[in-house]
Amino acid sequence: MSVEAIDLTLDLPQADAPKAQNGGPLAANLLRAGSLLVFALVFLFFSATAPFFLTVGNIGNVIGQSAVLGVLSIGLTLVLVSGGPNVVTGGIDLSLAANAGLSAVVYALIIQAGYSDAVAILGALATGTAIGAVNAIAVVVIGIVPLLSTIAVMNVVAGVDLVLTQNTVIPASSDVLTLLSSGSLFTIPALGIVFILFAIAAALVLQFTPLGLRLYATGEFPEAAKAAGLPVRRLTAFSYVAAGFCGGLAGILSVAYLSGTSTGSGEMLLPVVVTALLGTIFSRRLVPTIPGTVLSTLFVGFLVNGFQLLNLSSTLVSGVQGLLILLVVSATTLLRKEEI
Amino acid sequence: MSDPSPAKPDLHLDFSGVSKSFGGALALDGASLAVRRGTVHGIVGQNGAGKSTLIKILAGLHKPDAGTLLVDGVSQPHLTPALAEELGIHFIHQDRLLVRSFTVGEALFLGREPRLPGTPFLDRRRMQREADAVINRYFGLSIPNGRLISELSTAERQIVQITRALIGKPAVLVFDEPTAALVRREADLLFGLIRRLRDEGITILYISHYLNEIEALCDDVTVLRNGRTVAALPVANTSARDLARLMIDADLKELFPVRTIARGETVLEVDALSLKGRYEDVSLTLVKGEVLGITGLLGSGAKEFVRTLFGLEAASSGEIRVRGQRVKSLKPPDAIGRQLALVPEDRRGQGVALDLSVAENTTLSSLGRFSRFSFLARRAEKAAVQALIQRLQVKTSGPDALLGTLSGGNQQKVAIAKWLSAQSEIYLLDEPTVGVDVGSKAEIYALINELAEKGAAVIVLSSDLPELIGLSDRILVFFRGQVIRELSAASVTPDQLLAEATGSHIREELAHVG
Amino acid sequence: MSEFATVSPAGSPPRIRNFPSLAPRLALPLATIAVFAAFSVVSPAFLVPTNVLSILTNNFALQAIIALAMTLAVTSGGIDLSVGTAVDFASFAFVTLVLAGQPVPVAAVAGLGAGLVVGLFNGFLIAVIGISPFLATLGTLFIGRSIQQQLTNGGNPVYLPQTGIPDAFRFLGHGSLFGVPVTLAVAVLLLALFGLYLGRSSFGRTIIAIGTQPVVSRFSGLRVARTVTIAYGLAALVAAIAGILLTATVSVYIPNSGNAFLLNAIGATFIGTTLSPLRRPNIPGTALGVLLLAIVANGLLLSGLNFYWQQVGTGLLIFAVLAFSFLRGR
Repeated sequence: MSVEAIDLTLDLPQADAPKAQNGGPLAANLLRAGSLLVFALVFLFFSATAPFFLTVGNIGNVIGQSAVLGVLSIGLTLVLVSGGPNVVTGGIDLSLAANAGLSAVVYALIIQAGYSDAVAILGALATGTAIGAVNAIAVVVIGIVPLLSTIAVMNVVAGVDLVLTQNTVIPASSDVLTLLSSGSLFTIPALGIVFILFAIAAALVLQFTPLGLRLYATGEFPEAAKAAGLPVRRLTAFSYVAAGFCGGLAGILSVAYLSGTSTGSGEMLLPVVVTALLGTIFSRRLVPTIPGTVLSTLFVGFLVNGFQLLNLSSTLVSGVQGLLILLVVSATTLLRKEEI
Repeated sequence: MSDPSPAKPDLHLDFSGVSKSFGGALALDGASLAVRRGTVHGIVGQNGAGKSTLIKILAGLHKPDAGTLLVDGVSQPHLTPALAEELGIHFIHQDRLLVRSFTVGEALFLGREPRLPGTPFLDRRRMQREADAVINRYFGLSIPNGRLISELSTAERQIVQITRALIGKPAVLVFDEPTAALVRREADLLFGLIRRLRDEGITILYISHYLNEIEALCDDVTVLRNGRTVAALPVANTSARDLARLMIDADLKELFPVRTIARGETVLEVDALSLKGRYEDVSLTLVKGEVLGITGLLGSGAKEFVRTLFGLEAASSGEIRVRGQRVKSLKPPDAIGRQLALVPEDRRGQGVALDLSVAENTTLSSLGRFSRFSFLARRAEKAAVQALIQRLQVKTSGPDALLGTLSGGNQQKVAIAKWLSAQSEIYLLDEPTVGVDVGSKAEIYALINELAEKGAAVIVLSSDLPELIGLSDRILVFFRGQVIRELSAASVTPDQLLAEATGSHIREELAHVG
Repeated sequence: MSEFATVSPAGSPPRIRNFPSLAPRLALPLATIAVFAAFSVVSPAFLVPTNVLSILTNNFALQAIIALAMTLAVTSGGIDLSVGTAVDFASFAFVTLVLAGQPVPVAAVAGLGAGLVVGLFNGFLIAVIGISPFLATLGTLFIGRSIQQQLTNGGNPVYLPQTGIPDAFRFLGHGSLFGVPVTLAVAVLLLALFGLYLGRSSFGRTIIAIGTQPVVSRFSGLRVARTVTIAYGLAALVAAIAGILLTATVSVYIPNSGNAFLLNAIGATFIGTTLSPLRRPNIPGTALGVLLLAIVANGLLLSGLNFYWQQVGTGLLIFAVLAFSFLRGR
């Protein structure tokens, strides 16, 4: 073998250029347009068929009724963003619904014990945030897969809830609760106002600050985030703590909405997961976003409301949600297959 | 720029005695690297020579077992990625390390985002404006506003990578195989840029397989071989040929033992096979005892052709006959049923399962052989695996060791053992020695010869031309989706082969006609 | 070749490592023994034959069958959030047919069939369309929930009358085989059968390989789509058996009640992986995980602690085992 031979060997390009994995703009835009169209069609359909659907009062009501689900879904959105797209190995917080339940209980108990609303609000938010911190430690410090660690935390939190309430409803009333449940502004109930304000705040942080951008980088491509010198572990931890805070806030809202605690807070878990995941289709980049999650929350809210107004069984709602998520994900998957 | 005194040149980077081992395998063995400030410094070496390990140590991703690292004359025993960045060392990776769902501006400024004055919010407009300005200044072009990384071409992504580094005001820029995915014109653009950056005082490290690029671009070059620095010299009085000689062990010829060709009956016939947009009208016959070489550039269709034979792609027209029998719809299980075997290039992603044991990998395609009533005869399985481990001299602690604990060469032997266990007769080997150390390479070559001598038919797809010539009886050259030449390996030289594969003959002919 | 070949693209799962020592593997067995011993000391009513049998029958058996179903899905590289849906569908079909006067075996086969539909639907979504298992089975769970509510007029339980229940039905729920309650016997039989089969058969090896590295499996000629579909089908079938036994035990079908088993099934499966040196899902591990949870549930109850402490204890325990194993496994 000659020396030239070696020289020439090295002149051949290595055939390892990575193929594009992403579906590209066409698929994403189709999907996004399609989802928005479905949203609009559902809205139009109910407007045309259901009496009172398209009234300011009714729309305000839907926003108010969606507050608890919405705030929790926003919390989960943060975790999904920083944890990446793979639900099993990536970010997920299954303790959120139980978190809201326990925070609500803490709020109600503090009020019952005769303390002020301020103390109760602090207590509930601290409870939620503390639960988030436990998740953060489990995921970031101990390194347990989020799916598992948050299941364990969920069990503990739901258990403490049961111990405190003996599985009964704890009624609660206070000035703040009354204001939240019956106050309104421009015919939007106070709960809805809180939801909207919180969503705007969350959206500002996630979509418009460096912190938000860094959370996205952490979740989607941790190596790239590390290469950019970002504190990846701290960012991940932040998202769990922030999600915990959302749990606390949702707890307060649910006490106001129900005038007390609920024994079935855990049932909120899967709707929250579906809402947050469904929200990704409203984004151009097919990633979880706060506006997407809010749209998805309202979509579910209008669906329930429309069914009620049409005297249709609201039991169809979860079926529609399930079908939607399957349709949407199938469409994405198949479109991507086409393009590769 | 550089200190005139030869005893004490102005060294920007000065590594000496750097060693690093992974699981017992020595990747670097006292290597050194001395880079003068404000020069373009090339690093060359074959796969496995230790280039990547050295670069990762510079990036702070690996901690060396021994050695001193001087940056700007200061010892940096605890280099981390953050510290490397602080020292102004930036890396241009091929097209990785960019978040795909980000816009160009976001990707460029991640980690050092500009804010709207007096607010905590991103100044997206400024990000975009500055991105445009920098890209325009260095590359003379603009990437449209708001494009996502996932929507960019490979070259555009690389521009973003380089721009990202430039925004960080780098002192050292490390280019890692930057031209691998670029076309000529883009590469020329890049070279011009690199020279300009050097003239602005930035120290450049340039890692490439392309020795002519090193010759044209670099001031100095460091040659690595088997984890050691075998030479560090100015490029001015060195030729690409000298570099090649330094890179390889002198007695590589021994790698290719002579094989007695005993031609048997035809086992594989391909008739006018086409896959739309990939290759068309490919025909060949393969006989027992033959090694058929295939080569072609990326995109020539050669890889897709081999994948089709194993049922991974569906041909749009044409016919495949195995032992005279026409194969209609072919999927990998059918291909294996007809004693075909594929060793893919992407070993870790497709060839072997790192999280399964050596034994589980070895019998993955021949579970049927070891099952009675669907239950595995585990003793027989283990014995068979032991025998193969011995025959192929796989270095492992035993059949139950996780495959991920083996070195690349030994993993590749297991990838081949899988098909020996399946008693395959037609072997499709796609870049069979990529990422394999020299010792294992020789063993794999010997194994391929042995297979052919015992009557197997082998197709080797390789871009390592001396390897291809050394192994094959005849060679098919793919160019732009067609087989443009069939050559006898005995009479062809690598440069002829290269000319065919790059289509330079065709271009010359066209030029004459035009 | 890239110099940074080890930089993995986003979303690729972390590599499973060999445990450096035996300690993490012992976490689960030791915890089980410790908890058992502790309750034996604390509560005099704990270590008596009737209570031990009660743990196995009431706390262990059904949960173990459903966790087995989950383990099948997890072994294939996914997860099945709709195991409860298969339980419910089987339960509904079984009750409806028994009420309609069909023989119990016919009703049971119909129940299995109803469960299998759920599994094949999952298999189709995951193996053919290519949806990620988490989302696919989540969708199935939601659709299944609606279907059940539609079938039961908004979620009303379907009771079997106290009188006139066929003997075969009563036998399934409350009978015993050689002195062992039927539910427990079935659970043990299924665990043993699947444990042996997955551990020793080429099919078991195939599922493990596909669950570990699907692309390599495809390149090695394994029939990935078919195997994954079978795995989800089997999971649903096994869950359906639990549904039938559940209904026979409580004589009622409560819509969407199967979900109660979901989280413990996931927990037990993943706790069980700590038993394997390669941290693979495995049926002995799963069984031990369920046993641990069963002992805690029963023991806490007997210790005079408030009934509601159960869940706290369960959660803490799962957390502790996971934390220990993940910390030591690094």
